[in-house]
Amino acid sequence: MPPVKQLWFSALNKPHVRDKYVQRVREIDKKIGSFLSFKLEEQDWTALGRKPLGGVPVAVKDNIAVRGRKLTCGSRILENFVAPYTATAIRRLENAGALVVGKTNMDEFGMGSSNEHSALGRTSNPWDLQRVPGGSSGGSAAAVAAGLVPLAVGSDTGGSVRQPANFCGIYGFKPTYGSISRYGLTAYASSLEVIGLFAVDIRLLETAFETMHAEDEFDQSSFSTNISGSEVKKIAMLDIDPGMLETPVAEAYTQAAQILRERGYVVEKVNLVTLKFVIPSYYTIANAEASANLARFDGIRYGSGSGYSQNPINLIKEARSRGFGDEVKLRILLGTYVLRSGFKDQYYIKAQRVRTLIRKELGVLLRNYPLLLMPVFPTQAFLRADSEMDNYKQRLSDIFTCLANLAGLPALSVPIGINRGLPTGVQFVAPAFGEKSLFDIARGFSEVFPVQFPPGALEIERMR
Amino acid sequence: MNSSLKIFIGLEIHIHLKTESKMFCPCSAHYGDEPNTNICPICLGYPGTLPLLNERAIEHGYLVARALGCRLSNRISFARKNYFYPDMPKNYQISQHNHPVGIGGTIEVDFNDLGAKRIRIHNVHLEEDAGKMIHANDATLLDYNRAGYPLLEIVTEPDLSRGEEAELFLRDFQRLVRYLKVSDGNMEEGSMKCDANISINLPGRGLGTKVELKNMNSPRFVRLALGYEIERQSKLFNSGGEIVQETRLWNENRDITLPMRRKETPDDYRYFPEPDMPSFVSNAAFLKRIENQLVELPLAKKRRLQSEYDLKVEQAEFIHNDIAMVTLFEDTVKSGASARNVAAWLSSDVRKLLNRDKRTLADTPLNASRFSSLLTLVDQGRISGKIAKNVLKDIFSEDADPESIVEKKGWFQISDPNELGKIVDQVVSQNPDVIEIISGGDSKQKSWLMGEIMRVSNGKAAPELAKKILDERIG
Repeated sequence: MPPVKQLWFSALNKPHVRDKYVQRVREIDKKIGSFLSFKLEEQDWTALGRKPLGGVPVAVKDNIAVRGRKLTCGSRILENFVAPYTATAIRRLENAGALVVGKTNMDEFGMGSSNEHSALGRTSNPWDLQRVPGGSSGGSAAAVAAGLVPLAVGSDTGGSVRQPANFCGIYGFKPTYGSISRYGLTAYASSLEVIGLFAVDIRLLETAFETMHAEDEFDQSSFSTNISGSEVKKIAMLDIDPGMLETPVAEAYTQAAQILRERGYVVEKVNLVTLKFVIPSYYTIANAEASANLARFDGIRYGSGSGYSQNPINLIKEARSRGFGDEVKLRILLGTYVLRSGFKDQYYIKAQRVRTLIRKELGVLLRNYPLLLMPVFPTQAFLRADSEMDNYKQRLSDIFTCLANLAGLPALSVPIGINRGLPTGVQFVAPAFGEKSLFDIARGFSEVFPVQFPPGALEIERMR
Repeated sequence: MNSSLKIFIGLEIHIHLKTESKMFCPCSAHYGDEPNTNICPICLGYPGTLPLLNERAIEHGYLVARALGCRLSNRISFARKNYFYPDMPKNYQISQHNHPVGIGGTIEVDFNDLGAKRIRIHNVHLEEDAGKMIHANDATLLDYNRAGYPLLEIVTEPDLSRGEEAELFLRDFQRLVRYLKVSDGNMEEGSMKCDANISINLPGRGLGTKVELKNMNSPRFVRLALGYEIERQSKLFNSGGEIVQETRLWNENRDITLPMRRKETPDDYRYFPEPDMPSFVSNAAFLKRIENQLVELPLAKKRRLQSEYDLKVEQAEFIHNDIAMVTLFEDTVKSGASARNVAAWLSSDVRKLLNRDKRTLADTPLNASRFSSLLTLVDQGRISGKIAKNVLKDIFSEDADPESIVEKKGWFQISDPNELGKIVDQVVSQNPDVIEIISGGDSKQKSWLMGEIMRVSNGKAAPELAKKILDERIG
């Protein structure tokens, strides 16, 4: 069992520490705003002690269903929606003893890279409250970075776990598409997204992933394929025009390569000719799928509407106009556009062809190199309402994270210390179901760069 | 109608597949239950739920496609058909687009006096049904029992040219799905629906402007609606008027079609592949299972009934209409009964009882062993043909074997000469005036006496013997 598990279990096993813990979470989260709801429920603590994740509090992104809890997706339209069932991945965590303590804030329906597109609250980066935690799983990242929980669940459609993990200085893991059931994850872009994990500790992360990884009868795109890893000697490093990266990010990137070389790995620069098509392909497919996935929020069964109208189309129009935020509306409109007859061939179909090319190029690359090193995001956590980082630029900046989603590959963002007061990091991409290689390489890095906490974070080891 | 115009009619037929569970979730697909009792997060489209493929529905789909002579797809996949409708939980329908179950078949249909014709099938594809809206005063209620019910859509090429043909095609297709046991195929109850596309044009000019007809709840209404449209469009066409591309609804109270909505541009459903479900790939074992479920199709059956058993056209037509009737016929013949006799019974007395009770054969207690023992009783002279009709009625109403019915009711023929002699004597002695007339040379009155003998014996007197005894008595 990971020591972090023992640490949390032995602290929370004591009733008075539990009370203190809850109180402290509330105090800290007043500033951070990571949770939309928080509640530590009564448990049989004797039984929990024997379970692999027994007593580990877990935060869950609010687009993943937990029975009896709200499932807002950060949207006005689902503000009062309560899930009648639990996502398979969460049920598996709970069976292993993990305790869902709350649901976390997010960009509405997962659409955004800053958490500024949540309709239900503001989340700050624990390292600098003026800055964003990243997104769309920003609440989960911030909760882990502030020490409120050691483990959190998010979803990664185009980097929504890895980028906020990178902004907050913790591990952010996107598994192979299909390795964790999506049953219970509110769909945004079904063919791209997976349930992912945030953690302060790589062993805890690995245990949680092993717990969640299984074929699920309720998700026919899930597989129980064995997780493997090959012996890594050579690592590919994406050759990047230095102008693309902010200085601290470029420094972390170089530093990561240097550490790898020092540890005896061969690091070779590589190019991906398809890289420049990643963003258009990704957004075309994601928006197209979103336009269908979000159609069910119409004020009739899902979403709050007036409940009365002379005709159903008005009812639907009103509920959607009022209930969705601007970014969501934009993506639905774009997604509808790229699927229209007469336009589908030049947009959606072309994007799918490009996706196949990207997949193939990465496939070939990862046959020669068992790991690919890349930056996560061109910048460190940016300021809230940053004019330098408008919505359009944020979308362009998803280039390094979207790649793994288009190809369905596992990727892990790894912290590389604090630079100029803010976390930095890199990410590794592995072949499908090759997660072990990711965990191994991250374990090596953790000796040099263990996860650091910002001042004012919750320190469970000091609660007695 | 201007006979120089060419008429193109194509049908889009939907059938509800008879599966235990729905298309994409484990909910019961049972019909007619209390509203909103067969529902779950999946068929209600709850956020986060994913569709689960029902392999039984796929089997049914392949079977129909195979029977219609389609090219079977090795790999089938699903697509999302996007449109907003209040009774559709996800606001998209999971359907098939690029890789349907079957493409490009043909089926021969016998249009009776119009002759037999091969109708081409465009494709056969699977999809899910939506819920149902119930309008009550100023509110609309929704019942989702039907949401996710498995549907099979069969699209024909525009090869039909008359309303009568469409009706006969539909009736033959109903028989086909019932023979294959994949659907009830009942349009009145909604387990089968049919929309029709019709266009007219001068010969050699190809298709005309397409008008879509909906809301026809029986094959008969399909015929009537098409007949009305052919009249309407022909008149318009010949008078130089414009035929508008639109959807029209059949109004069964007024026997006319009325425009529903104009289609300025064709519907754009923005199809794209369903990302939540892998493709289904058929293998040899699967295809073998399909072959094993294939049966002799209705038209072949009808022709064989005529040729092999020498039945009249109307008899074969009637018997092949119901697969249970065919089975009863063939099993009864197999047990030794004469085919023409069996056919005559089925198409007259059995048919009358079914019509009287508004039942189908499968719902009745009549089976081959009862039927053949009934016919044997007649053949052996143990009951009369007239009594046999009563026995048949009792089989229907009492669910009992013919022997025990006849036994219980004391309906066996009286064929003992002594016993019958007494009855004849009684009738003769009671009617001296009639005997006198007969003696006077008017032998026609003999048959009146025979009638009396039958009446007194409650119809049980063996007719031949009774006649012989009567002749002896009155010389």
